[in-house]
Amino acid sequence: MTAEQLLAIMPLLILAGGSVLLLLTGAVRPGGYLYGIAAACAAAALIWSIAMPADAVMPGLAITSFSRFFSVFLYGTGLVALLLAWEYNCRRGITGEEFPATLLFALTGMGAACAANNLVMLFIGLESFTFAFYIMVAIERRSEHGGEAGLKYLLNGTLSAALLSMGIALIYCSRGTLRLAELVAMQVIDPLFIAGSCLVLLGLAFKLSLVPAHLWTPDVYQGAPAPVTALLSTASKAASLAALLLFIPLVESWRGIHDIFWMLALLSFVSGNLAALLQRSIKRMLAWSSIAQMGYVALSLVAAPSGGRPAAVFYAVMYAAAGLATFGAVSLLSGDHDRDELEQYRGLGYRNPAAGAALAVALFSLAGIPPTAGFMAKFAIFAAALRSGETSLAIMAILTALVAVFFYLRVVVTLYMKSPEGQPDHAPPLSVAGMTALAIPTLTTLFLGIYPQPLLELLKRILP
Amino acid sequence: MIVPLEHILVLAGLLFFLGMAGLLTWRANMIMMLVCIEVMLNAVMLVAVGGSARWGNADGQLFAIFIMALTSSEVSLALAMVVYLHRRKRTVDTDLFSELKG
Repeated sequence: MTAEQLLAIMPLLILAGGSVLLLLTGAVRPGGYLYGIAAACAAAALIWSIAMPADAVMPGLAITSFSRFFSVFLYGTGLVALLLAWEYNCRRGITGEEFPATLLFALTGMGAACAANNLVMLFIGLESFTFAFYIMVAIERRSEHGGEAGLKYLLNGTLSAALLSMGIALIYCSRGTLRLAELVAMQVIDPLFIAGSCLVLLGLAFKLSLVPAHLWTPDVYQGAPAPVTALLSTASKAASLAALLLFIPLVESWRGIHDIFWMLALLSFVSGNLAALLQRSIKRMLAWSSIAQMGYVALSLVAAPSGGRPAAVFYAVMYAAAGLATFGAVSLLSGDHDRDELEQYRGLGYRNPAAGAALAVALFSLAGIPPTAGFMAKFAIFAAALRSGETSLAIMAILTALVAVFFYLRVVVTLYMKSPEGQPDHAPPLSVAGMTALAIPTLTTLFLGIYPQPLLELLKRILP
Repeated sequence: MIVPLEHILVLAGLLFFLGMAGLLTWRANMIMMLVCIEVMLNAVMLVAVGGSARWGNADGQLFAIFIMALTSSEVSLALAMVVYLHRRKRTVDTDLFSELKG
């Protein structure tokens, strides 16, 4: 390995080394300061990815502008989630070094998945961050639902891993190579290859929670600790989207791929938005809404030939900012129990203005109301869909997006209603870490809503 | 290659679907569900090694070894989860863990 390659993969080494270091120091001197070390490692990896724009290719990994963009995005998301978890976990008695170490390990896996240049590395990256999530979802031992959520995520996740690996093995049987570049060059379609690709897509649909592979999502989002849900709904999906974008060029010449994404998109945004209407629990509502949002991402992949891919990634960035802010507000406003019922949010916008405002901005963004990033992201996707002639699908998407406005705004309205008399409310005060963790995604949402051009230009450049 | 690839694929396909059917129906015992997942992953390894023999390179065997590493870490994690859930409810019946609904 040359020095240049070493410098290019340094972020991954920082994260992996930091994870091991945390486990070792935590065994000697446990304490809350470990979250600080973890945040420093994530920030170092983030800054390194921005500051060292060096391309490098080595067996398994290829550091390109694509992988660097996703690394910056994912490490930033991980950093915000760490800041959210710091205070939340100290309050809830999730002590120990395991949580920050596992989170750093998850970031390593995500970084590897989006820099993969062969299918084995892609698989290992995807599975290693999913493993970390199995642990983090069930980490709160006192919680009533953590174990059940962990069980459901584990069983669904291993099923998806089996499907994904079977798909990769079948593709290998049909082509004789696992390198992505060689596979893209051979655009021959045979039944074995199609079977393998369908299994890989199904496995990735599990990770992106697209209908019909979405059933785990609401239970896991509700049962997991809120900061973990924040990371699970944003970074995990973004990394899976990166893997999907790496995989799609392999199957581009097959016509059926269009129909698969068409069905996935339609089922996801229709059933996600309709089911979210019925929820009384905020976390479940957000879980169904995330299914619907991923449906819009799949819609932009249907429109991939006419500029859908930059729109898909822009949407993922918008959703990550909104997801971090909503689940972040839920975790910062929760005391000993997660604040989950809609009624418990009544009047919080007055008593806790900062968190209330962050939550409201994020919900506006999810609903797609200007001047937030959600509006620009939806606009980019619907424009791409109409350009590629998917008129009926785009109309369905716009109609369901209008339905969705109702349940997002219902929460905003509840936030700014009069609080009920005589009920003491134990919303904990915000710490500096919590404020920072809410401010970053909220400012991103507003910035991208007002001035999306630089990011869109960048995405058009790095995505072919 | 002495054994044709089709035979390997049929055998692996049978194993894979047996495992999947078991996973989806045998809900009364979490340990058995884990065994079913192992059966599925063994089918994957069979396909990978069969592909390796067809093409005469080692990529598939490498993939099979990585899957072995993956399954062993997965089982250790899943068994930890079994112990944890058993302590809470004194059962490994996954159907009884159904408080999250809606």
